Amino acid sequence: MADVSNKALRKVRRARPLLGTFVEIEAEARSGADLDAAMEAAFAAVAEVHRLMSFHEPDSDVGRLNREAHLRPLVVHDWTCQVLQAAIELNRRSGGIFDIAVAPILQARGLLPCFDEHAPTAAVTRPDGIELLAGNAVRFRDPDVRVDLGGIAKGFAVDRARDALGRFGIVSGIINAGGDLLVFGGRAQTIHLRDPRDPRRLICSIALSNEALASSARRVDPFRSAGTDDTAVIDPTTGRAATMLAGVTVRAPSCMIADALTKVVMVSGTDADELLTHYDAGALLVEQGGDIQSTSNLSDAINRAA
Amino acid sequence: MTQWIRYTLPAAAIITAAAPAYAMRYLSIEEAQQQAFPKAHFTEVQAGRVWKAEAGGKVAGFFVFDRVIGKHLYIDYAVALTPSGAVHSVEILEYRESYGGDVRSESWLSQFNGKTSASPLKINGDIRNISGATLSSTHITEGVKRILATYGGRLK
Repeated sequence: MADVSNKALRKVRRARPLLGTFVEIEAEARSGADLDAAMEAAFAAVAEVHRLMSFHEPDSDVGRLNREAHLRPLVVHDWTCQVLQAAIELNRRSGGIFDIAVAPILQARGLLPCFDEHAPTAAVTRPDGIELLAGNAVRFRDPDVRVDLGGIAKGFAVDRARDALGRFGIVSGIINAGGDLLVFGGRAQTIHLRDPRDPRRLICSIALSNEALASSARRVDPFRSAGTDDTAVIDPTTGRAATMLAGVTVRAPSCMIADALTKVVMVSGTDADELLTHYDAGALLVEQGGDIQSTSNLSDAINRAA
Repeated sequence: MTQWIRYTLPAAAIITAAAPAYAMRYLSIEEAQQQAFPKAHFTEVQAGRVWKAEAGGKVAGFFVFDRVIGKHLYIDYAVALTPSGAVHSVEILEYRESYGGDVRSESWLSQFNGKTSASPLKINGDIRNISGATLSSTHITEGVKRILATYGGRLK
């Protein structure tokens, strides 16, 4: 497809069902690089994040933590520890708006499964509820702490897939986990944005290069609100779903940060500007009436003709 | 400090800008078979649906082609099973999606009937990357469970 003089580039695009969504990876490499092995490694990284951080799997790090971390410190995978660390920092910097401890609210709303009859009915949102100890050990300070990494792990998985591709000498590519995506190397890519109020339509497009983009919408599933494993966005300060905006899209240097910040912007709207600036991120907000607001650092990349 | 810029979109502009549909073809059945079981020889066990993979005189596994309805249109995918009937890998072969109001029309849908991934659809090639709220892959998960219930451990 893309032949550049005598340095032939080969491009491969694949998709697998992972993380409860469709993960699509496109990679471009000069002849000689092992594209198939790179693809396998990238998908394996995503599958590993899924295995470690799924709320639904009792044997995942998240499942073990929710069951036992209030009894004794548990050693988790380095990746789980990294995500917890980032989540705790985001919680602090967002004044508690980003909170992985909203799991009980999502369980009560039927958006996450309940495994035990003693499931807490309210979220424990104290900022020091999760304690990170030396050697990747984690302890919960309250027996009712339950964490769900659904608001951040997908972006983290995309970042790990990008690392995996880099180790195989892939020069450029795009990793898209159901709309949370990252573009690296090479030229800018055009990303079309769904209208969160009617996902069959596109609202605009954004040019992206060497950056990540993630979106959240008020609807749990863009086409079918019931029966999905996806998480809604909860305002931890009220315990209710964020309803101010129809949807948001965040551009950031890493997909984990983009993914997590969509949840904060869904709740805080334009008040999230300082946090966005701190993380070198930009945002696009879609209001219920269809008006769009974007940060000035993103406006040049937006093409409203979709 | 970040500044916010407001745009007002005329509703009509959104509709006219939207493309009717797009399809992404990732792998043909043959390519997916080679991907799942490199260098294996494939024998059709059930026409167009199940293949046995053999390598070095031994059964390497089974390859099952299936199709589920995505949001409005079909998603073709393949499940590779180990000789004992466990899932070895799941690959999407072709993904189709539609926009706009054309979806309910029978004649419009009928263009997809009988298509296999060997006859790729390219409806709108320039929409390749989409962001928005996350799409659920629940139907694929259910499809894989169905395949396991039907074939897991029963293929020889």
